[in-house]
Amino acid sequence: MEQTFNPRIIGFLCNWCSYAGADLAGVSRLQMPPSIIPIRVMCSSRVDPLFILTALLRGSDAVLVAGCHPGDCHYQYGNYHTRRRIVLFNKIFETLGLETDRVRLAWVSASEGGRYRDVVTQFTEHIKEKGPNPLKKEIFL
Amino acid sequence: MTKVGLFLCECGPNIAEAVDLDKVTEVIKGDKKVALIERHRLLCSEDGKKFLAESIKKNGFERIVIAACSPKQHENTFMEVMTRAGLNPYLFQMVNIREQCAWMTPDKELATQKAIRLIRAAINRINYHTPLKQKEIECSPDVLIIGAGITGIETALRTAQKNRNIYIVEKNELGGVLNRLQSLYPGMQSARELLQKKIKEIKSHPEIKVFQKSKIKEILGFFGNFIARIETEDKKEVKLNIGSIILTIGGETFVPAELPNFGYKKFENVFTADEFENSVINKENLPQTIAIVHCVGREKFGYCSKICCANSMKLARLIKEKSKNTKVFQFYKELCLPGKEYDQFYKETKEQGVEFIRYKNIEIGDHKIDYISEDEIKQSLSVDMIILSTGLVPGKDTQYFANLLNIPLDDYGFFKEEHIKLAPVSTITEGISIAGGCQGPQDLNDAVIQAGASAGRTLSSLIPGRRLQVEAKTCEIADSICVGCGVCVRVCTYGALTIDESKHISVVNEVLCRGCGNCAAACPSGAARHRHFTNQEIYQEERAMLK
Ligand SMILES: Cc1cc2nc3c(=O)[nH]c(=O)nc-3n(C[C@H](O)[C@H](O)[C@H](O)COP(=O)(O)OP(=O)(O)OC[C@H]3O[C@@H](n4cnc5c(N)ncnc54)[C@H](O)[C@@H]3O)c2cc1C
Ligand code: SF4
Ligand code: SF4
Ligand code: SF4
Ligand code: FES
Repeated sequence: MEQTFNPRIIGFLCNWCSYAGADLAGVSRLQMPPSIIPIRVMCSSRVDPLFILTALLRGSDAVLVAGCHPGDCHYQYGNYHTRRRIVLFNKIFETLGLETDRVRLAWVSASEGGRYRDVVTQFTEHIKEKGPNPLKKEIFL
Repeated sequence: MTKVGLFLCECGPNIAEAVDLDKVTEVIKGDKKVALIERHRLLCSEDGKKFLAESIKKNGFERIVIAACSPKQHENTFMEVMTRAGLNPYLFQMVNIREQCAWMTPDKELATQKAIRLIRAAINRINYHTPLKQKEIECSPDVLIIGAGITGIETALRTAQKNRNIYIVEKNELGGVLNRLQSLYPGMQSARELLQKKIKEIKSHPEIKVFQKSKIKEILGFFGNFIARIETEDKKEVKLNIGSIILTIGGETFVPAELPNFGYKKFENVFTADEFENSVINKENLPQTIAIVHCVGREKFGYCSKICCANSMKLARLIKEKSKNTKVFQFYKELCLPGKEYDQFYKETKEQGVEFIRYKNIEIGDHKIDYISEDEIKQSLSVDMIILSTGLVPGKDTQYFANLLNIPLDDYGFFKEEHIKLAPVSTITEGISIAGGCQGPQDLNDAVIQAGASAGRTLSSLIPGRRLQVEAKTCEIADSICVGCGVCVRVCTYGALTIDESKHISVVNEVLCRGCGNCAAACPSGAARHRHFTNQEIYQEERAMLK
């Protein structure tokens, strides 16, 4: 039997919106793949691009960063900084000829359990189709 | 090696049935970083908390990992238990194996694997935790209110109480807009009488100190400990120590000089509503026909000012009161009259013979109004006097206070509330509230409601004698690594970081820092460190998760 590929995805969730949204998905018993392994941060703006890079080099198949919708960040503007950093991150990856669709930014509010499930499910499907992170085999840390 | 205790909570059947906790125990048991694994059916129950406290003491645990529900559910509960058991509550990590594991992963095997990964991440991280201090500061319960319009006056009266000094600083005379009004819609009571009564009240109140014709020269400090320098009427300088500030500097009425189609300052019989009510109505014999034009400036600033429709009708009534035979026309675009009294107010105004005409476009000429009506027909009406019902705009000093106190402005230039629905009188700067016309256009009712809201918020946040708890998970700057580049200063929303010019490094004000961690992500040298979410702590989580 062919072995199925179950991606492993690090998910940075901001405490105030996305982490609460993910909790709500659980409370509502919404089912989704167990691919996302959540790391709680206070704000999505805590996510240093190096965290993402390290995760990819260590073998995460993808990285999800989730925060409050624009305008709703608990710290006012944090998520705008996050957005810029992720765009920049993917720009650098693109310049280096690396894949840019293994890092995704999503806005999930505390009331959007369903949205969290959709984001997780779709992203997991997408990564499943793409296959394992090639950096995993090439670089060891 | 520190002694780490791992607690697995079954949450009744909630976790026990969805995650194989025996398997978890078996797998983790070999991990040398964990001294002992304990298990309980309901850890947050009284019995569970006792079990936890006793186990900490009996086993001499120095750090704790609890795998249970979401930290948003019971992190604080367990932090309290730890504190009582004599441990620093930050030497603790909670693992969410319920909401984000048991409850969203139907396959028990997969849920168990995920739980193990999450628990390993916490175990990896816990040895990097540092004890954090729950800091408290002394603070002043006194309040500074800036602007003594009706909002400021009401706010002062509602904050005034024993053991608390209230200072109210006004740059002109007390009273603001109400000084210029005859009466107030919808009840048509006298604005002057209401104002005089309120002014008498604040002037005689033992806890309120009024500074008229005075200027704010400087405000330094932060929530609980502001220092304001004031220049008084007789040019003396006064220094005030206060804990919080309420901005009630009002707005202004729009002056339509830049909109040529309204003919303001071009024709001598065109006035603003403000001017009309303040003086014109007193001086002159009113002419035969008067037109009141609504929505002046609305298109330019992009919002409805809420008060002008009702105010225009109020003027119509004042005119009719004084000169029964004067014909009054209301030129409106949209009528905005929400609220329980206003249908009646509108009906009564109409019954007095006031005519309402809806316009699409308008051009004011010499003693006439050319307009395009609702049904796209070009029309013209001769009138003797025209009153422009202009909207409300931000006051001149709004920008000054925004800069001084680090409060953002909204798209229109009013003070921006922390949250439009949920925190409408707070600002992002702790200890600073806003109320009245400086927050946005509003009538007297709204202004008074906001006065009450900001007073309540201020009173409950600074109780005399109470010390202020400040965030423990703040950032810190490593002096020896920081190069003073200022990147962190620019990303901090709260002005918590400044560059110390003599040492060329960034310094953090721990009272202002809210612990978002943005600076730590932005700092190119790794000098800014986010307590409890340090790079190391997060890398340790990643490492375990990806094993
Ligand atoms: C023409 C007009 C007619 C109206 N008619 C009605 C009505 O009939 N019924 C009704 O319910 N509402 C009416 N309103 C609305 C109502 O007047 C306002 O909602 C209310 O007066 C707002 O009060 P305020 O204290 O917020 O602002 P203001 O009355 O504008 O007071 C602000 C005060 O702050 C002071 N200030 C400004 N900058 C500084 C500074 N740097 N330092 C110190 N002090 C400063 C100003 O001098 C002023 O005294 C009307 C408004 C206008 C403009
Ligand atoms: S601590 Fe959380 S997981 Fe454990 S019993 Fe209480 S609610 Fe359930
Ligand atoms: S953690 Fe956030 S609030 Fe604190 S200093 Fe850094 S950027 Fe400012
Ligand atoms: S960003 Fe880092 S190096 Fe630059 S001033 Fe801030 S703490 Fe110092
Ligand atoms: S707190 Fe959610 S993105 Fe900033």
